[in-house]
Amino acid sequence: MTKPMTSVFAIALAAALATGATAAPTVLDVVAWKGNEAEPAGLPELIEAFEAAHPDIDIDLTFVARKDVDKVIPPRLQGGNPPDVTMVDSALVDLWGGAGFLTDLGTDSPWYDRMIPAVREVMTRDGQILVYPLEVIGMGNFVNMDLLAQAGIDKAPVTIDELKSACQALSDKGIAPMIFAGGFPAMLFVGANGIDPNGISPAEYGSGARQFVDDANFNAALDGVRDLVAAECFDPELQAGLDPWATAPQEFRAGNVAILPQGAWNIGNFAAVDGLNFQFAPMPSRYVEQGLALDLVGPGWAIPRDAAHKDAARKWVDFFAEEANLDVFLRAEGAYSPYAGGVSTMPDLAAPYTAARDANSLILWPFSTLEFPKILQSEWEDSITGFLLNIDAPNEDTLERWDFAIEDSM
Amino acid sequence: MRARYSLYLFTLPALLVIGLFFVHPILLTFDMSFTNFAGIGEAKEVGWRNYDRIISRDRYLREVWLTLWYTVIVVSALTVTGLFFAAMLHRLPLIRNFSRAALYTPAMMSFVVVGYVWQFLYSPLNGGINVALRDLGLGAWEQNWLGDPSIALYSVAFTQVWMFTGFTCAIFLAGFAGIPEEIGEAGRLEGASSWQRFRYLELPLLGPSVTVSVMLTTIGTLKTFELPFILTKGGPDGATRLLSIDIIDNLFGQYKFGFASALSIVMLVIVLTVAFLQNKVLRDRENAS
Repeated sequence: MTKPMTSVFAIALAAALATGATAAPTVLDVVAWKGNEAEPAGLPELIEAFEAAHPDIDIDLTFVARKDVDKVIPPRLQGGNPPDVTMVDSALVDLWGGAGFLTDLGTDSPWYDRMIPAVREVMTRDGQILVYPLEVIGMGNFVNMDLLAQAGIDKAPVTIDELKSACQALSDKGIAPMIFAGGFPAMLFVGANGIDPNGISPAEYGSGARQFVDDANFNAALDGVRDLVAAECFDPELQAGLDPWATAPQEFRAGNVAILPQGAWNIGNFAAVDGLNFQFAPMPSRYVEQGLALDLVGPGWAIPRDAAHKDAARKWVDFFAEEANLDVFLRAEGAYSPYAGGVSTMPDLAAPYTAARDANSLILWPFSTLEFPKILQSEWEDSITGFLLNIDAPNEDTLERWDFAIEDSM
Repeated sequence: MRARYSLYLFTLPALLVIGLFFVHPILLTFDMSFTNFAGIGEAKEVGWRNYDRIISRDRYLREVWLTLWYTVIVVSALTVTGLFFAAMLHRLPLIRNFSRAALYTPAMMSFVVVGYVWQFLYSPLNGGINVALRDLGLGAWEQNWLGDPSIALYSVAFTQVWMFTGFTCAIFLAGFAGIPEEIGEAGRLEGASSWQRFRYLELPLLGPSVTVSVMLTTIGTLKTFELPFILTKGGPDGATRLLSIDIIDNLFGQYKFGFASALSIVMLVIVLTVAFLQNKVLRDRENAS
């Protein structure tokens, strides 16, 4: 009687130990400013797919808004308790990577050589790549095609002359042609007309090697703004202080204005408005005939130096590096692939913008690549607003402020 | 003697909390203000460079001046409007409770909600205020409320006054409640008008309420951040860039924790100085009356 009981007990014990030895799944702590209800970015679907492909890894995604990431993650990085994977942008890579808190993903990674060369170049620092960039997101003009049709125009303007003609025609019909708030929309136009895609590198200005005040390109960019005012595109004093993030998009959504310079992240929002017939077009620029695509290098994944589950974290990054998975993210984001020759997942309404990119008529937005320092961005916002409020003031009043900001950054 | 020592012992927990959560962070901030700390990594000592930059640049001195001027506008307006509504409601007991609650409601709303609502109201394109003026035939009064540098600060101040008038009204109503009825009765019997009773009887007795209201609104307004940030982000072109906005911009916009700490210490000195002077003046005034 005792021997069978002992055998049963021994077998049960062995089974229990075996179950214990088959380790519980690794819980991968991922922090991102996407993946919540407002901005899912395809992450719920991708997490499900990842977990199906890696049954030994469970993803614990924590949404932390971008503005809160600065407060939440640094203490964890410094305390040796970081997330396994964190979403970062170029500013955070510079800050956290510069302090040695991010892991080098390796320039020998299979996806590294497939990246758009310009993106690869700006993301590689001292021979290290500390982030896997997930997307390149466009900035250009949202154009209400129905309002343009009322003015007899059937094509989104992509040259300066087309833009001025469109403004005149719209104004004659009593339609507000364009939003040109100083804070962001105006910056896009000034940037597109001050940075020659085949000329001086923005890094020369950002490093102080070249000054803005004597620069022909940026003087011409400000003159270009005056030309738009003369073409009745907008009232500079009325729009100088207009909020570009809430009020301006709302005006476009309501069909009150024909053209809004903004980022492609608004595509989903605008597409949800019933009856809003719009296109996303490149920014008219004096350097190119098909408009200039302003590409912002978007966020990516980074693995903190002290991550507890580095191997699993690497699998997460490599999962997103597969085009089929990345496309889910890009489609949800309305963004372009960071890979050279990557398949476009953009909707048809972005055809003009995609065409400009395909024709290599694009620049990487220098604030996203840190070729222009962060301090210059707030100075651009303020000084361009000031320029709009006093459009006849000499260009140097504005451009000098940019040079002072560059000096301050050094 | 023994009882007195026991009394001091009872204050120790409170002093400990103040020391740990108030004094210690201030000392840390002061220490950080002499570095170029970026929020992560090592902090390098830079001596007085941060303070030197604050004093030598017009921009920061202008922000200090703007912050003080904004505080003067808001505190003065809040005191006058709060006193006005309290004086009216003191004489209208039937609607007093309801009106007090109605006036206080904006103060209970989130700054973010208030900021976004007023941003749309102030919009120069199709904002509520300009549309209403147009519809009333007062189109000539339309303004670029937040986009005109000469009036943007006053537009933001108006929103803050709208939000907190109920707060100061509640303080003054409590003050009115503390005034003996016999004094008003005596004034009426002597033939004093309503204005005379208010000016010569009630106002002097509202001294403590004025002190409390002015002090609280001054300290709160000096460090105000949310409304100017949401409404204008310090624009147009710095017309509403208060010191608090620059502190946040340096902290989380440019990761200059050391410099932001220096700005914070400057703000702390200003707040303490103003609070001390104000308290002295108001208390002396109370004692004199």
